[in-house]
Amino acid sequence: MNNSTLNRRGFIKSVGVGGAALTVVGCSSNNDTADTDKPHYVMVFDQTKCVGCGRCKDACNKVNFLPEGMARLDLERQTDRVEGEVCPKCGKTECNCERKYVRVSCQQCQNAPCVMVCPTGAAHRDEETGIVTMNPDTCAGCKYCITACPYNVRQINPDTKVADNCDFCLHTNLAKGELPGCVQECKFGALKFGNANDKSSYVSKLLAAKNTERVKEHFGTDPSLYYIAITKEEI
Amino acid sequence: MTGIDFSTGLGGTVAWPWPIAVYLFFAGISGGALTIALMMRFYKNQTDNTPLLKGATVAGFVGIALGMLCLVLDLTNPLFFWKILVFYNFQSVMSLGVVVLMAFIPLSALLAAYALREELNQLPKSLHFILPVVDALVRFRRPLEMLTLVLAIAVCAYTGFLISALIRFPLINTSVLPALFVASGLSAGAAVAKVLAVKFFKEDLHSAEMNVLHKVEWPVMAVEALFIFMLFSSLIFGGSAGSNALMAFSGGVWTNLFWFGVVGLGFALPLLFSFGLGKKFAHSSQAFYMTSASVVCGMMCLRMFLLYAGQIYSI
Ligand code: SF4
Ligand code: SF4
Repeated sequence: MNNSTLNRRGFIKSVGVGGAALTVVGCSSNNDTADTDKPHYVMVFDQTKCVGCGRCKDACNKVNFLPEGMARLDLERQTDRVEGEVCPKCGKTECNCERKYVRVSCQQCQNAPCVMVCPTGAAHRDEETGIVTMNPDTCAGCKYCITACPYNVRQINPDTKVADNCDFCLHTNLAKGELPGCVQECKFGALKFGNANDKSSYVSKLLAAKNTERVKEHFGTDPSLYYIAITKEEI
Repeated sequence: MTGIDFSTGLGGTVAWPWPIAVYLFFAGISGGALTIALMMRFYKNQTDNTPLLKGATVAGFVGIALGMLCLVLDLTNPLFFWKILVFYNFQSVMSLGVVVLMAFIPLSALLAAYALREELNQLPKSLHFILPVVDALVRFRRPLEMLTLVLAIAVCAYTGFLISALIRFPLINTSVLPALFVASGLSAGAAVAKVLAVKFFKEDLHSAEMNVLHKVEWPVMAVEALFIFMLFSSLIFGGSAGSNALMAFSGGVWTNLFWFGVVGLGFALPLLFSFGLGKKFAHSSQAFYMTSASVVCGMMCLRMFLLYAGQIYSI
């Protein structure tokens, strides 16, 4: 009696697991998001916390030894007002419109056009981490990836003459087991980084709890950069 | 407030500047000229080296060589060129293009050598070592010509696929682009091959072969115009992204290039020279050279317009 209930329960359980596994396999035919064995590193940019101080940018330049005048990330000022001039958001000269900043950097697409078009495979997805990164030795400098990136966040490194993108500090901080430079340096907690496939990670919980958005999702690029936007009405 | 977005980027506005447009131009001329001449050869079952074939093979080889030069010089460091030849990614249109070009370039040189066999005798003595090579390969001439025909069409189409893969640019991210590039490559390639045949290989302006070409030119141009119209209408029905890119045709920086260069030089002037100024003028050699020149310039303007306006009117 006892035995048979156990068996039935076991059976139901295995059907459930099998069904779930089938669903996962079915959904993962063209991307690796559902592949939970591998990590999926994501970054969350919280617009409500960013004050536009630019420490992230400086940290990135330092950690990744970027040459003068080049940056892998930028902060776009939105609805920012120059004293005495009209506000670009509301059109008045005096207002309380909030300053908003948006992080501009490689969106770490799961379905990355730059990786697809690169003729030499220099722009590639790192096997272990799935992070989109560069092999400077094989890059021919054809700039195909730069035109193909829908976010226009790739550029040529003037020193090495090869293409470059934000790769979450894959070869620098991450290799040492540290958080990306920008995340470490943000004094306002506007940047969060982690493995979204690990259900116990902070970013997983954050993504589960918060409304997040991604940039230009209609391109079908499946970006790994999430944004928590300021949604408050502005007058 | 709908959706988060940014409008600045880390790269410049135009990642692929004019040398790439010039490359697309030369590749189109090369592929187009060879396609026209080889189709003529097969259609008429020719076995001798006609002036048109000579002109076309010269255009084919010189065109692709100059195109390659532009491509290499546009790399951030031209010395990196070998990497494209050594590393491949078969998901990439550019890699597939490299494979096609690696066969097409030597074949176009060999075809030129076949066609210009007599002229090769006048080479300086030190270069005579190539003659036995050409003569030894002459057995394979027919199959190699067929292969080259396929590759020539592929080269024209590939230049279209190359830039239509750029999803950020509604003007060029369309499936008619490869077809448009084949059509415009054919008309400009034919024009160049004809001029070379008449000018350097003593073809008669009104020979039977030239007459066939004159007859096929107009349908090719009509098809080309149709493709441009299809591209235009796909933007009209393409939602907000498309309507933004439509500005390229109506008041943007590149509008003049489109209306005067592409439409004016590419279509209106040739029509005027052939039909608008009387039969006598239409049959003159002036009309012949001027029409060819304006068709070729129109095609260059088309590449330039698509590449620049395409990259500027991004989403
Ligand atoms: S944002 Fe651009 S550079 Fe980054 S992965 Fe996507 S396509 Fe590549
Ligand atoms: S510039 Fe380098 S990384 Fe970019 S597509 Fe060309 S070879 Fe690949």
